[in-house]
Amino acid sequence: MSKANVTKYKQLGFYLDQGGCTGCKACQIACKDKNDLPVGISWRRVAEYSGGGWSKDESLGTFKPNVFTYYTSVACNHCEDPICVRVCPTQAMRKGEDGIVAVDASICIGCRYCEWACPYGAPQFSAEKGVMTKCNFCRDFLAEGREPACVAACPSRVLDFGEIDELRKKHGDTADIEPLPDPAITKPNLVITPHKDAQRSGHGRGTLANPKEV
Amino acid sequence: MFNELPLVIFTIIAQMSVGSFVVLGLIHLFGARAGREVIDKVSDPALYAIGPVLVLGLLASMTHLGTPIRAVNALRHVDSSWLSREILFGLLFAAIGGAFAFSQWFKWLTPRLRQALAGLAALVGLALIWSMTMVYLLPTVPAWDSWATPVRFFATTFLLGSLAVGAALVVTADVRRRRAAVADDASEAVIMSSLRGIAIGAIAMLGVEFVVVPLYLGKLATDGSPATAASSTALSNTYGGYAVVQLVLVFLGVTLLGVFLSRLAKRFSTARLLAIAPVAAFVLVIAGEIIGRMLFYASYARVGL
Amino acid sequence: MTPQSVPSPAIDSTGVTRRRFVQWTAIAGAGAGLVSLTGCGQTGTPDALAEPAAVGTEAKVVWSSCNVNCGSRCPLRLNVVGGVITRVDPDNTGDDSLGTQQIRACVRGRSIRQRIYNPDRLKKPMKRVGKRGEGKWAEISWDEAFTTIAGTLTRLIKDHGNESIYINYGTGVLGATVATSWPPASSAVARMMNCVGGSLMQYNDYSAANIEAAVDFHYGGWQGSNSNDDTVNSKLVLMFGNNPHETRMSGGGETFVTQTAKKLSGHKVIVFDPRYTDTAMNLADEWVPLRPGTDAALVAGFAHVMITEKLLDQAFLDKYCSGFDEAHMPAGMPANLSYESYVLGRGADGTVKSPAWASRVTGVPADDIRRLAREIAQSKPCSITQGWGPQRHSNGENQSRAPMLLAAMTGNIGISGGGTGERESYAALSMASFPVLDNPVRPVLPFFRWTEAILRGKGMDYQDGIRDALDTNSNANIKAGVTLGSNIKFIWLYGSNALVNQHGDINKTIEILSDETKCEMIVCIDNQMTVSARYSDILLPDVTTAEQVDLAAQQSAGNLGYSIFTDKAIEPLYECMPVYEQMAGIAEKLGVKEKFTEGRTQEDWVRWIVEESRKTIPDLPPFEEFRKMGVFKKKLDSVIGMKTFRDDPVANALKTPSGKIEIFSSNLHTISQTWKMEKGNTVTALPEYVQSREMPGDPLQAKYPLQCIGHHYKARTHSTYGNVVWLKEAHPQMVWINELDAAARGIKPGDNVKVFNDRGALILPAHVTLRIAPGVASVPQGAWYAPEKAGGVDLGGSMNTLTSQFPTAYSKANGQHSNLVEIVKA
Repeated sequence: MSKANVTKYKQLGFYLDQGGCTGCKACQIACKDKNDLPVGISWRRVAEYSGGGWSKDESLGTFKPNVFTYYTSVACNHCEDPICVRVCPTQAMRKGEDGIVAVDASICIGCRYCEWACPYGAPQFSAEKGVMTKCNFCRDFLAEGREPACVAACPSRVLDFGEIDELRKKHGDTADIEPLPDPAITKPNLVITPHKDAQRSGHGRGTLANPKEV
Repeated sequence: MFNELPLVIFTIIAQMSVGSFVVLGLIHLFGARAGREVIDKVSDPALYAIGPVLVLGLLASMTHLGTPIRAVNALRHVDSSWLSREILFGLLFAAIGGAFAFSQWFKWLTPRLRQALAGLAALVGLALIWSMTMVYLLPTVPAWDSWATPVRFFATTFLLGSLAVGAALVVTADVRRRRAAVADDASEAVIMSSLRGIAIGAIAMLGVEFVVVPLYLGKLATDGSPATAASSTALSNTYGGYAVVQLVLVFLGVTLLGVFLSRLAKRFSTARLLAIAPVAAFVLVIAGEIIGRMLFYASYARVGL
Repeated sequence: MTPQSVPSPAIDSTGVTRRRFVQWTAIAGAGAGLVSLTGCGQTGTPDALAEPAAVGTEAKVVWSSCNVNCGSRCPLRLNVVGGVITRVDPDNTGDDSLGTQQIRACVRGRSIRQRIYNPDRLKKPMKRVGKRGEGKWAEISWDEAFTTIAGTLTRLIKDHGNESIYINYGTGVLGATVATSWPPASSAVARMMNCVGGSLMQYNDYSAANIEAAVDFHYGGWQGSNSNDDTVNSKLVLMFGNNPHETRMSGGGETFVTQTAKKLSGHKVIVFDPRYTDTAMNLADEWVPLRPGTDAALVAGFAHVMITEKLLDQAFLDKYCSGFDEAHMPAGMPANLSYESYVLGRGADGTVKSPAWASRVTGVPADDIRRLAREIAQSKPCSITQGWGPQRHSNGENQSRAPMLLAAMTGNIGISGGGTGERESYAALSMASFPVLDNPVRPVLPFFRWTEAILRGKGMDYQDGIRDALDTNSNANIKAGVTLGSNIKFIWLYGSNALVNQHGDINKTIEILSDETKCEMIVCIDNQMTVSARYSDILLPDVTTAEQVDLAAQQSAGNLGYSIFTDKAIEPLYECMPVYEQMAGIAEKLGVKEKFTEGRTQEDWVRWIVEESRKTIPDLPPFEEFRKMGVFKKKLDSVIGMKTFRDDPVANALKTPSGKIEIFSSNLHTISQTWKMEKGNTVTALPEYVQSREMPGDPLQAKYPLQCIGHHYKARTHSTYGNVVWLKEAHPQMVWINELDAAARGIKPGDNVKVFNDRGALILPAHVTLRIAPGVASVPQGAWYAPEKAGGVDLGGSMNTLTSQFPTAYSKANGQHSNLVEIVKA
């Protein structure tokens, strides 16, 4: 895959209106449907972060919650400093002129080093194909002037995409939200409008509630 | 625990190979008094064993790949990827080390030049171990991104390297003793003094591991972040049993070496019994190191998702 | 030790022979070979999609829809290449505004390729060999199938009458028109049966039967609360067990409408639900967890505060309601039967329904009850709706009336921004339906009692719930002369998994069905090998929506009116046949083909229906244009439930005996005095809290302490989509259990646990979570029953292994959320 800019962007990024995400995973399924992904590979995943507790009064038989939970839909953040590109021994993992980080399946040897390194779980190994696979920002759709499949799918309209500078101008530059890692590590091109219960990366009071699903 | 077996085998073998090479080089250096011919006779079999074992290790690493047929592509990102550098240094070590072995076998070049080649191979081998270490210093994997990783990798290198050489020396000597009609005192002397150095060195390396590992585990357990907690749980709870086994094996190996050393102090009584000790110590310790390496991979946990 | 003399090649000074060198390398090579057998961790199992090979490369995009019973209706644009569907795209018309919204399909509809090309598709007609449920089949021809079915129908109708033939409840194809499966009375199966004298029909549904019966007495009939788009005018929104973000997930339906309305208005939302649902975590400013089945107690607690602190909308109660207080009771009633008397302890039970009392029953702290009551009374207008959860209990009828009562006490009925306390309404285009001729059969069966009717149908009467087809309203059937003339001898299943899986008490159902002398024939028309198909006698493979031409009627989308032309995207797979053609085939065997088809193909009927619809919807384009358009949309007015009644309660009196909202229902009072009741059932004229079967306080809790509901889950729509691997991956089947209850049982997240009571047992992983009230568990409803052996533990996680067939008091319907269980590590 050439680095040529088939889209018109300088650096693409995703936006998430986290407060509206219901955790339905229409985005995940739309992506799997478009890319014919098998069970075990999901380029977009939705993490649930929960915590808090309950107080019970056994004598009165009452209970009261102090519970929080919220969802985060994440694919690949096509980072500014992508650790997957840095560590890839073959240069199969590359950042294009439009900022899209994609894997060239004709070069990749499936060593899975990028999978070890990426703190968002974006590169995923296909045992069937013997190479890594990942979100490619629906580059083909973008070239046709269409939205990425996940963005177009979301029933709650919480996903958006575009030139990262414009997204940041419009929505700010928050990306350090649990359970996502510190954005300083790879500088993700991701902007989040936090859920009302959202907590900062590394300062969370909860846990990842669905680790097997991300 | 078992899903990274190819990498366990590769890293253990590569480290043992480099370590063996370096230790053999040290034997040449410190044994110069005994004369080049004796040293060569004593150490060459061990030298020639390194090559095939290293090749086996490299082949093992290829089975980790999803598409091994393109494995050579791994050399394409040396300017950025430590994995690329590791493969490069690995191949260079095999090539230069192989060149040295061949030149030693066929007596090509001059002894001085051969020595220089060996020195170069040793340096490249150490660069291989360093690259290997750096591969695992990922900022997103806190269990690996620690000073303990290079310390333990190098400790393994010299530990297995020295014990492998020790075992090779005594096995070679044992085989020759049974074949030859004449005793070879000069060789035996070199072997004995080498074994003394090896035993002391190995015990020292084990000592390093005994100090480093608890410190490392303690830090992991108290860090508090989800990734380190997961790694800590894997090592202490899920695979805690294996960790105990590893400790026991290594402890037995140390004990054997200690016994061996003390026997060496007196003039050895039964040659046979003495030959068993370095071999048994090697087997016990490499088993322990393999388990330790499997635990290393089992402790993988990533920051973020 | 003697040296061995071995003839060997020359040994050089190094002591290593060439042979030895070769041996080493050979060992190294062999070792490498061995190592290569150890593969690394595998990820990515290939899907088992049974797609046919593409023929050619012709590409087109065809409008279709997802037709399941979710309460929404989404168009799907199917990308077809070479006759194979390659991708699903969403609606591409409309925007993000209320009334003109783009109808983005939910996670389920997006996976529809995995239903269409599922390896579980029924492929050829089959008949059972062996016992029911054994799973042994013989393939037969369509002709043999039609002949057999026609022959059995003829015999049974002759011997037992048309009442012995029952079209069971099935909502799998609810969204279609010619091919609709629901209500059964509107299906092609019904039309065919109506050509030969009709069949036994049903009333009400698994979704909402208890409220449907109750509302007849409370409001005279179903009214419907305001449409959700109207909540832009609300100051406060109360949702009782209403969870659109997990059930009605359409991006054009209630998920979209509720989110948008809140964004526009900034109104406050309070969710009352035992679970911290995705609706709650998304919309709610406050989540009030309560024990399942106790909403009526909560409202009684609210009422106590409002009565004693004079926060009631007394003017509304006086003008529009009957029976709230002693001064407004029906004439001739004894004293202290009003709701006020009930609350203040002057009623028969003598208990004051104070916040303290209510807190013990519901689990909600008394201080919160007081605070909430005050807030609700003083925030106007207040939208008050309920989902189907609170009413699907053993005391469900009274449960359902509680939010309605709250709406009356606060005077929010019939105004913009307010609500009636029922489910939200939606504005809709009234498309014509597929005509089904007349069904002369008079007795109508409560949908939930078909198993009962197999056992003792003949002689069941109005007190068993049998109603008269002439008027199935509850008010008309408090005493009726209708009696069922036969047991059920023949069951049609069309788009139905109600036989086994969705009906209560799976083990008991299987036992009832195992007697083939009772129900003699079960015919299942479906496109998948469902659980119910496994227990049927004849399987007729249906096509999917994508394989036929039809129209899809809309469902709940606020004030967006729309209709979808679902065109044929691909040829029918295997030997599958649309239900219309199947029924035509059977009609032919019965000698009524012309009556059934009227000479029309399915597509002809669609043309006819479009033209009929254009009579009431002039904007609707003609057939060919509509076909190209795919989805026709029209912005409609918001619905204000009971507005006309509010505006003029005399001219627009309700169809209750008093013409008013009957908080004290005189007809229910009559029932409570005259009907014989099952032991454990109570009928009350007021919306009292009743501690009925398996409610908190039931002595059974000594054995089975946890309440277990079956919430409706994102992975499926009931049981539809239950065999789609992507959805099982995205939303795995797990039992929800509170962290505290799990810790007490040594259960850790993901542990396999056994959930059980006297009716059956499940084994599935535990979802240990803070998002459910302590003492409450939930098994997401609709997973496919998969017993490890006949009568054994269910490994599929099907909720109805645990539920009961015991009917509710006067609805004679399902209390499927009322279950006591225990959970232990498996």
